[in-house]
Amino acid sequence: MRKVLLLGSSGHIAPNIIPALGQYYDLRLADLKPHPDGLPTRTVDITDYKQVLEAAQGVDAIANFTVNRPHPVLSFAVSTTGAFNVMQAAAEVGIKKVLHTGPELVIPDYGHEFDIGEVPQRPGPGYYGLTKMLGMEICRAYARTHGIQTICYQFNGLGPKPERAVQGQDFQPFTITWEDLVQACRLALDIEVVPDDYQAFNLHSYMGQGKYNIDKARRLLGYEPSEPVERYYRRPLVSNRS
Amino acid sequence: MKVLITGSASRLGQAVAAELASEHALRLMDEDPVPSTGEAEVVQGSLLEPEMAWRAVRGVDAVIHTGEPPASLAAGSPCEQALLEWATRGTHVLLSAAVEAGVGRVVYGSTLAVFAAYPDDVYISERWEPQPRAVMRPLSRYLGELTCREMTRAHHIGITALRLGEVVVEEEVRDAEPNLMWLDVRDAAQAFGCALHRDTGRAVAWPERWAVYHIGADIPNAKYLIDHARSMGYEPRHNFAAQWSVEPGVNT
Repeated sequence: MRKVLLLGSSGHIAPNIIPALGQYYDLRLADLKPHPDGLPTRTVDITDYKQVLEAAQGVDAIANFTVNRPHPVLSFAVSTTGAFNVMQAAAEVGIKKVLHTGPELVIPDYGHEFDIGEVPQRPGPGYYGLTKMLGMEICRAYARTHGIQTICYQFNGLGPKPERAVQGQDFQPFTITWEDLVQACRLALDIEVVPDDYQAFNLHSYMGQGKYNIDKARRLLGYEPSEPVERYYRRPLVSNRS
Repeated sequence: MKVLITGSASRLGQAVAAELASEHALRLMDEDPVPSTGEAEVVQGSLLEPEMAWRAVRGVDAVIHTGEPPASLAAGSPCEQALLEWATRGTHVLLSAAVEAGVGRVVYGSTLAVFAAYPDDVYISERWEPQPRAVMRPLSRYLGELTCREMTRAHHIGITALRLGEVVVEEEVRDAEPNLMWLDVRDAAQAFGCALHRDTGRAVAWPERWAVYHIGADIPNAKYLIDHARSMGYEPRHNFAAQWSVEPGVNT
């Protein structure tokens, strides 16, 4: 069973996918804070290179789910310097697979358009999107230089899929369900190589609006949403005429 | 114009100040002590401090952000993270202050080293995709360039990025193996002066507020093309004639 260092394992995302991923990988959980369900977690500050390097010893892959959104100093430290620390540690240890994650906010400029595929990143000057984009550029440089197979996922909302019909409201584009994220993580961790050693992918579960397409994830990774989640958002065809 | 020059204690910063001193009022900034400056104002402090950045930009018409880090980071620092932070967050802090202060134009010193991965049998212009390697000094400089670009998207500030060759002094490398990326520091300074004339901060479309120019020497059979820079008046005067043959295709 391959060993994976999971950074940001106590955040908003990772605790929801750890139980499923743990069936396939030997996960080494790492975060600044304890895991919400009390799982053993190594205390690692991603802004501290020595801590990241030490945590990376002996693993086959690193998955980075860390984030700091609004802070003018920490956003750079976590999203940009943190990405550097991860890639530098991977290079130093000889790890050949990194899964990096970031927000859809790296491409907000296209928000008024449709059928948006793999487009150049335009985060603008806000801390969150900018620092994430810079982090992804670091990933790209290290991937190319050291042959580290690096997959970056761009998503936005995350959560469970609806359990029943949702009426009277639309769904947020770029949202991915926990089930689909587990699938995507497995695809990223299991794929041998990606073109140019680095690829970024749109990733979501809700296809109905035709706003962001996931063609590249389908083509290169074989990703497919587990079910058409938009079917939960159907307007009942009943007559309201009086 | 009143012009702020960052990295003023560096050789490049000094050359830029010398180039501009006769035409502009200068304010020189660096973390390190800046050598004697004549009439120029001096601000000694770090870009990473918002208060210091605000003091530096207040009242200036233009900023030349040379991209030259403090000497403590430039001399093969073991702490690459510090250089990364200086180039990214430091640039963001400086430009945020510039936007707030209403500065209309900025010139940034990036690097041609982002094309080092390309073979030598291609002509590199601004149309080529940068492919920085995992080497912190040029990589951080490029990330600073991207930070500049993103600032122009949302703010009315015109920024010109100059991707500089390897900055040297022609007389000092006369006996060295020639390098396709050499750029004399005086020509680099000239390029900053030329770019200062770009006044696009009020342009409605962001592609007009943002521009990139490649800055190199005029050598025969050059790899790095400088035609675009010539369009803003750049004309290099130090072209390493001792090393480069004038006959095309027979460069040594």
